[in-house]
Amino acid sequence: MTQSAVSAEAKRFAISLTGLKPGTVPEDLVVALQSIFPRKTVEQIRGALARLPLLLTRSATEEQAQKVKGFLESKGAILRLVTSTPPATPTPPASTARSPSTAPIAPSRSGVVEAAAVPKRNQPYTGIERRAKPRLHPGISIHPMGIGEILDRSFRLLRQHFFLFFFILLIPQGTFFLFNKGSQIFLGGGVLQDMTAGMGIGLIVSVVLAVLVMMILQFWAQGALIHAVSETYLGHATSLATSYGAMRSRLGRLLGTMFLMGILIVLVPALMGIAMAIVAPMLKAMSLSGGKQIILTMILLLVGAVWFLNLLLNWLLVDKVVVLEGKSWGSALRRSKELMNTRTEQGFWKRPKNKAGLILLLGFLIGVGIHLLFQVPGFLSQMFLPMSLGGVTLTLQQVLNVIANSLATVFTAIAMILFYYDIRLRSEGFDLKAMAEHL
Amino acid sequence: METAKETLKIHTPEHVGFRYVLAGLGTRSSAFLLDTIVRGLFILFIFLAVSLLARWLPAFDPTGILAAIPKSWFFALGVLAYGVVDLGYFLIFEALWSGQTPGKRMQNLRVIRVNGQPIGWLESSIRNILRAVDILLGFYPLGLFVMFLSSRSQRIGDYAAGTVVIVERRRNVPMDRTRLRTTSKLNLPELDVHLSTLEPKQYQVIRSFLQRRQVMNRAHRSELARLLARRLMKRWGISPSADISDETFLEEVVGIYERSRRAI
Repeated sequence: MTQSAVSAEAKRFAISLTGLKPGTVPEDLVVALQSIFPRKTVEQIRGALARLPLLLTRSATEEQAQKVKGFLESKGAILRLVTSTPPATPTPPASTARSPSTAPIAPSRSGVVEAAAVPKRNQPYTGIERRAKPRLHPGISIHPMGIGEILDRSFRLLRQHFFLFFFILLIPQGTFFLFNKGSQIFLGGGVLQDMTAGMGIGLIVSVVLAVLVMMILQFWAQGALIHAVSETYLGHATSLATSYGAMRSRLGRLLGTMFLMGILIVLVPALMGIAMAIVAPMLKAMSLSGGKQIILTMILLLVGAVWFLNLLLNWLLVDKVVVLEGKSWGSALRRSKELMNTRTEQGFWKRPKNKAGLILLLGFLIGVGIHLLFQVPGFLSQMFLPMSLGGVTLTLQQVLNVIANSLATVFTAIAMILFYYDIRLRSEGFDLKAMAEHL
Repeated sequence: METAKETLKIHTPEHVGFRYVLAGLGTRSSAFLLDTIVRGLFILFIFLAVSLLARWLPAFDPTGILAAIPKSWFFALGVLAYGVVDLGYFLIFEALWSGQTPGKRMQNLRVIRVNGQPIGWLESSIRNILRAVDILLGFYPLGLFVMFLSSRSQRIGDYAAGTVVIVERRRNVPMDRTRLRTTSKLNLPELDVHLSTLEPKQYQVIRSFLQRRQVMNRAHRSELARLLARRLMKRWGISPSADISDETFLEEVVGIYERSRRAI
């Protein structure tokens, strides 16, 4: 290697973001910066942008510097490149709070430029959590909606981002289908008859592991869908990889909270069963006639069912709260309950729980329509294909079922995410806040 | 990025443009559900009436002719009436009510021709006879599929009849027309000059806040009020006063603005 080549190699650049070009949408730049600094949260980047100039790196190679410059300038950033020498000291831990304009930044082992840790802003507590504030694209117009409008918008969103939403949910559904098919083929070959004890244990362990993986995948997809729908609804661009990537840091919280919710949901019918076991002998002791006993039992069951339904509706928004507000465990359950019990409009049918019930009912009916549509090709193939191709027909029906499942789930899920935003829109008026900021 | 509402633009030969908001799957499903309930009530009424007729009418007939008619005939009559309601409900209502049914009326929907004209018996007949194809196997599987692919959210019946379902413009009229009363708490020397710089869009934001604040969370309400008031004060070079709250300031501004501009 020649001397000049060495010096060219050693030449490093400091890149600072000094301002934004007129007409730049800050949120677009936030998304761009997040793609460069995937470890930084949107809030951290937004906070750093509020205190320009921002030193992105001081040790980028010429090639890296040109790439970053070209990319960020296309998003409306004004950058300053200055030659510098590489830092002698190693990169400080990310948790160390430093001013972004003075913190030394070095390329990571993977070659990706690491941003300086962005300190948290010390803002007075106003009763509103900053992290929960939705970031609305200035060019988008949102407003409170009725049930029909929520479903209309869900349908429109699904149509506009069909492949994104569909593939997000198809990943777990397809994996489950493939696993199912694979296990059928594997176990269908007479393996079960000649199975030893060791093989049996291995099989059980594999099944448990597979169920666990499927569960994680399912919740991951659920979170990714919530992220994707939220981003597109608020006017931002997103992709399959970004949506799944955004869920990486929240997957544990989502799994834990959903697990807690699952336990509580199972616990309630169990408690009801115990209560019934206590009440039943008491009713018998009261020497009531058979008819009266049945009526009393029916009333008690009805009360229990209404209570259980109410509980389920209270926690309907838990997954959205975890993904979009960063809450978890008990606080996520409480927040969901708070949202579902917010009085946002006058009228019985306009209460959040009743609205949610109607949306779920309409979503269910539309889902039935989607399922029926996807039954038609399978039905026709069963009618017209020869019996020898029964396996093909069955597989076709199963594949179509997976697609129909994904579609029906996607539609209702989008509607519920928009419903979540609708409650927040009414109770928090964040659309007005976004407009007020541009007054 | 999500686009604005799906609209249908119509230009007349006189170069006058009309814009209609197209109804989507959600509002149409809601309207259909409401219509199903109304139809169910109609059918229930018919069957009740036929059952009562079959039971009581022969008793009032001295000639005994009605008594001789088998009861199954009455039920055949009921089935016929059911058929008429099932097929005729949408057809007759849409033709007579200019593209509306009770469900559509409740949801502010209307069927019109793609050129913007109202539909007649022919269009109503075509779109409602083809409903049988859309609804094939129940729950509109084909209709859903075609609507999904259609840029105007049309089902097969709509394509054949050349119709679209639109959202009525009534919804765009502000619900609250009451003007805010001012209490003259705001004493600013150059208020009229300041108000003349208030743009309609800014007025709309403040007005929307004042209309929606009742259902808003208290913390968010006060934050938004502060944000709006401080923005205006900064713009007009006014310093915040302890005598007047942010919300009262906004009420006064809107009240005076409406009075001076005769705004709705």
